[in-house]
Amino acid sequence: MLFKKELAFLVMLCFVVSSVSSQNKGMVLIPSGSYKPFIKGKVDEIQVDSFWIDEKSVTNAEFSTFVDANPSWSREEIKRLFADEDYLSHWATDLFNQDSFLVGNAPVVNVSWFAAKAYCEWQGKRLPMLSEWEYAASALPQGSVDSSSLQEIIANWYSRRTLSENDTVPHYKNEFGIWDMHGKIWEWVYDFNSVQSNEDSRNMEETPEGLFCGSASLNASDASDYSTFIRFAFRGSLKGHFTVRKLGFRCVKTK
Amino acid sequence: MKSFIANFEIYIALILLTGIGLLSSCATDAEKYTLDYNKEVTGEIRATLTDAPLVPPRIEAKHNTKVIVELEIIEKTMRLADGVDYTFWTFGGKVPGKFIRVRQGDLVEFHLHNHPDNMLPHNIDLHAVTGPGGGAEASLIAPGKSAQFSFRALNQGLYVYHCATAPVGMHIANGMYGLILVEPLEGFPPVDHEFYVMQSEFYTTGRFGEKGHQDFDMQKALDERPDYVVMNGAVGASSGENAMKVKVGETVRLYMGNGGPNLVSSFHVIGEIFDKVYVEGGTLTNHDLQTTLVPAGGSAIAEFKCEVPGTLHLVDHSIFRAFNKGALAQIKVVGDENHKVFTGKEKEEVYLPEGSSIQSISSGKQTSSDEVIEEKTLEERLAAGKILYNQNCMACHMELGTGIAGTFPPLVNSDYLQALPDKGISVILNGLQGEILVNGEKFNNIMPAVSLNDDQVASILTYIHNNFDNGDGLIKAAEVKEWRNKK
Repeated sequence: MLFKKELAFLVMLCFVVSSVSSQNKGMVLIPSGSYKPFIKGKVDEIQVDSFWIDEKSVTNAEFSTFVDANPSWSREEIKRLFADEDYLSHWATDLFNQDSFLVGNAPVVNVSWFAAKAYCEWQGKRLPMLSEWEYAASALPQGSVDSSSLQEIIANWYSRRTLSENDTVPHYKNEFGIWDMHGKIWEWVYDFNSVQSNEDSRNMEETPEGLFCGSASLNASDASDYSTFIRFAFRGSLKGHFTVRKLGFRCVKTK
Repeated sequence: MKSFIANFEIYIALILLTGIGLLSSCATDAEKYTLDYNKEVTGEIRATLTDAPLVPPRIEAKHNTKVIVELEIIEKTMRLADGVDYTFWTFGGKVPGKFIRVRQGDLVEFHLHNHPDNMLPHNIDLHAVTGPGGGAEASLIAPGKSAQFSFRALNQGLYVYHCATAPVGMHIANGMYGLILVEPLEGFPPVDHEFYVMQSEFYTTGRFGEKGHQDFDMQKALDERPDYVVMNGAVGASSGENAMKVKVGETVRLYMGNGGPNLVSSFHVIGEIFDKVYVEGGTLTNHDLQTTLVPAGGSAIAEFKCEVPGTLHLVDHSIFRAFNKGALAQIKVVGDENHKVFTGKEKEEVYLPEGSSIQSISSGKQTSSDEVIEEKTLEERLAAGKILYNQNCMACHMELGTGIAGTFPPLVNSDYLQALPDKGISVILNGLQGEILVNGEKFNNIMPAVSLNDDQVASILTYIHNNFDNGDGLIKAAEVKEWRNKK
């Protein structure tokens, strides 16, 4: 037992050392910039400082390394407070137990916000802020000329014409050089519930300033941007311990 | 400016709401419809849910009870029209959603499940609920989650339910609506048949009938320009083979809903008169109606007795929607004719307005002239034939000779036409009546004789044969003359 703990520590230590030496391997530096917020507020532009972001969302294989090193985040030992009963439930299926390289490379899903946050911190990273995620995801697919190509990726996903969350093949890389911000899975953000669409999605009662009220779309900067509406509504339906079959995450790091 | 309007609207809404609150709090009329919800219910039952056009049986218990409703949200790709698929978001796996039936005073324990394979959060707003958001607030759920809430069915009526998750319009446009009936405790008077019909629109990237999987088109939805307006979720969902069936003499009650998201339905049944309509699905009844308005997010209950056999067409009488966008369902009434009510066709003759070349089917053949007609080349015949075809034949046989299934036979590669020894000359000269078999399909209709001269008949037939894949060849005016004189 003692040995195991020491080993875990050693692994962590090695990792920290190696990640520093490898200069944020597997991450892409997003330059500082701004984007037009979906929610109308006092500002027309949201400024985002430069940050590092994972090139791809965290995979099953990567997450299992974390769980091995931190058994309190395993399916067996996790506290219900931190994850509901579906936590990592797909790992129980035969598909995953085949230990196939393919599924190992698929994005990890069925993880709670707490688990995602713990994973990122274990790596010396953190979960992206909503503004960072939205900014990074707003970039068009490489080589495309207008936003219709991005809308098409999202529409295809909604209409289930792209592959499932077990898909290991990357779909598209955006202008920032990061893979599959849309079209494959949803992703956790640190402040997922700060800009929340009202549960009724239509209420127009006083919402705290700057917050989103799904409804009447009176607060949205573009009422026809339904894919963004859906993303905000999705976040609004979550709680920190929830796990969802199509919800994973990636980590970021302050520059 | 925009935000001013928004705020202004809220103020107006607040003023209106306050006004309504004041009115209802002192109106004695309101008490008549208010139920004593302090009275306990006894027992519990699990609700039977049905897909359109079926309606669940009424709850037989004499007293109010707890009704447990389990409804599962499923996102799935299904047929919207022949060759056209759409990814629907459904309450229960079909569009429209499951029909729910309770009684006034029942306590409804509602369980909403969002299937784990779904991609999106959903919820439900039942118009039958007295409470915030009609249950929407209490039921927002991520994929893989369930929500439970209970409500007392205070008011009688036929109510729409729908998803109210942002963007609400899109959730409704993708199929998330259904009906919940709150009937009087003692039930509605018995009828022979009850059916569930719900109208709604779909906004697709491709135009009506464009093959393949179609995506939701937000711009068309904003513009309120649907490509499909359908009854029961798909073109033909409740017509043809899937038509509702009743017998002569039987009574029918239709539970008609309109999911929208945008259009108001002018609901009409071709060939019937509504004996009784519960206007907008409420308790007010009207009688002897032809067309009743069903608002988006609203309903109507219509009753009638089927006195004579035939097919009744349930349509939105904004009629292009019915014939060009799919807003049509059918009830087939079988049984004996009742000539005291309707005689059927007593006589048929074609009306011959001045200058038309159409003439009565019974008028016999055009007399032949003796003058010699100059024959034409194939190109000349095809050019003239095209114009003549479009003037005389196209209305029924269609521009491309496809006809209309079940009504007008096709001319394209027609085995019937090809088997005729006269290449079809007599059909044009004399008309045709009665049952024929064309390419395996039965037709029973009347084609009047067409009053054309030999030259014109030759051109039309040359065009039909060459252009519609019935074998090549030039038909001569002399041949037409020969057949005309035969009898």
